[in-house]
Amino acid sequence: MASRYDRAITVFSPDGHLFQVEYAQEAVKKGSTAVGIRGTNIVVLGVEKKSVAKLQDERTVRKICALDDHVCMAFAGLTADARVVINRACVECQSHKLTVEDPVTVEYITRFIATLKQKYTQSNGRRPFGISALIVGFDDDGISRLYQTDPSGTYHAWKANAIGRSAKTVREFLEKNYTEDAIASDSEAIKLAIKALLEVVQSGGKNIELAIIRRNQPLKMFSAKEVELYVTEIEKEKEEAEKKKSKKSV
Amino acid sequence: MAATFFGEVVKAPCRAGTEDEEEEEEGRRETPEDREVRQQLARKREVRLLRRQTKTSLEVSLLEKYPCSKFIIAIGNNAVAFLSSFVMNSGVWEEVGCAKLWNEWCRTTDTTHLSSTEAFCVFYHLKSNPSVFLCQCSCYVAEDQQYQWLEKVFGSCPRKNMQITILTCRHVTDYKTSESTGSLPSPFLRALKTQNFKDSACCPLLEQPNIVHDLPAAVLSYCQVWKIPAILYLCYTDVMKLDLITVEAFKPILSTRSLKGLVKNIPQSTEILKKLMTTNEIQSNIYT
Repeated sequence: MASRYDRAITVFSPDGHLFQVEYAQEAVKKGSTAVGIRGTNIVVLGVEKKSVAKLQDERTVRKICALDDHVCMAFAGLTADARVVINRACVECQSHKLTVEDPVTVEYITRFIATLKQKYTQSNGRRPFGISALIVGFDDDGISRLYQTDPSGTYHAWKANAIGRSAKTVREFLEKNYTEDAIASDSEAIKLAIKALLEVVQSGGKNIELAIIRRNQPLKMFSAKEVELYVTEIEKEKEEAEKKKSKKSV
Repeated sequence: MAATFFGEVVKAPCRAGTEDEEEEEEGRRETPEDREVRQQLARKREVRLLRRQTKTSLEVSLLEKYPCSKFIIAIGNNAVAFLSSFVMNSGVWEEVGCAKLWNEWCRTTDTTHLSSTEAFCVFYHLKSNPSVFLCQCSCYVAEDQQYQWLEKVFGSCPRKNMQITILTCRHVTDYKTSESTGSLPSPFLRALKTQNFKDSACCPLLEQPNIVHDLPAAVLSYCQVWKIPAILYLCYTDVMKLDLITVEAFKPILSTRSLKGLVKNIPQSTEILKKLMTTNEIQSNIYT
């Protein structure tokens, strides 16, 4: 059945599916994992770094990009599609600032990206964008925001979410471990993001890239050393928790 | 005849046979050149079983030459990685033969000089218990080659007192269910067994209307016909390339009777698996 209705994007199948959009969601699963966490005073984006070829310049393989001083996003899926979407979003951020004299709200730019994606699900001869994005930032009112968009052009606000390969495993971990305590302090929120990624990242801390935005501060990308420090701290806490458990059982 | 969305008229396929019998008769007349080409193609697609060290072919089928009580077959790169890390490193395995075959899925075009690194189906037996066999099959065996493969491995009259375990993977979008694929806990295991397999599986059985495809299906059908106890463990995953989480989804099988006694050092196996992952990572810049 599917083969007759998945050639042209503008065709619905008899049971109401837009197969190209669903296939685009499969393309997202081919990208490495990205996780976003909304804390009270901080927003965190963590991604699984793809291993870079020997002769490749690492700086050109970036999953986390700033859209403006106060908004950044991480994506999963087709690299080239992401580049196009990010360029359009950056231009829109500046255009908005020039015309309205106010920086974009996180919701505005998310809606812009989502509308762009939806247009491509309803145009003849085009295919949808094969990316999902996690957009984080702080608005002028000082409230932290996290939004997720997908190839169909829908967007939702989240407290914490994951996209890309093994996103389901990470999301289940977040559902269990996202508590008010866990995001009470900035370092706790960062640790939660790293712990969530460690569930699925294949070779530990050296393959994790982290970025945070604090209220009224620009995007900060963590260096590999800073990530390692947090990973060591997490491992120490794990050991202590296990020691306590074995003491209790004795 | 059916009209498509774009207004073109296409001939709908009909299983009852075509109406134009005459056209078919004409097409059936084969020239000597056609016959020659067909014979060449058949030779190219032949499945050959040979010993790598001596480069000689095996005269009889593998399981006729060696008695077998247990046969574990891994088909696909994730299943192969699972056996490599968890089973093959827990004992001394000796290579007894390999199956070389060519089809359109192969990367090389030269069929006579396939190098030793490209032997696609390798057969091993455990040195301490030579009736335990293992097959690592990382190539695609085409439909017309599956029967040859079965004959060369099992022979024309296989013994019934052996137990076969097959491990393979399939993409989760092939799994037919009323739930949406987004809510499935992939990767997950399903099992399918022959009538003579009396033990229980370590995971739920494959529900209808799902079917098994390719070589695993051929082996299971063969075992069912010859009344050999066999079980297939099928891992549905959303990552078909070599992936740690997919390989680890096979872990419940370690506790079954099929693999009992063959697995010793699990923490070390996990380390070996991680190393396999990093060495085998294919560079692709399309997806980030």
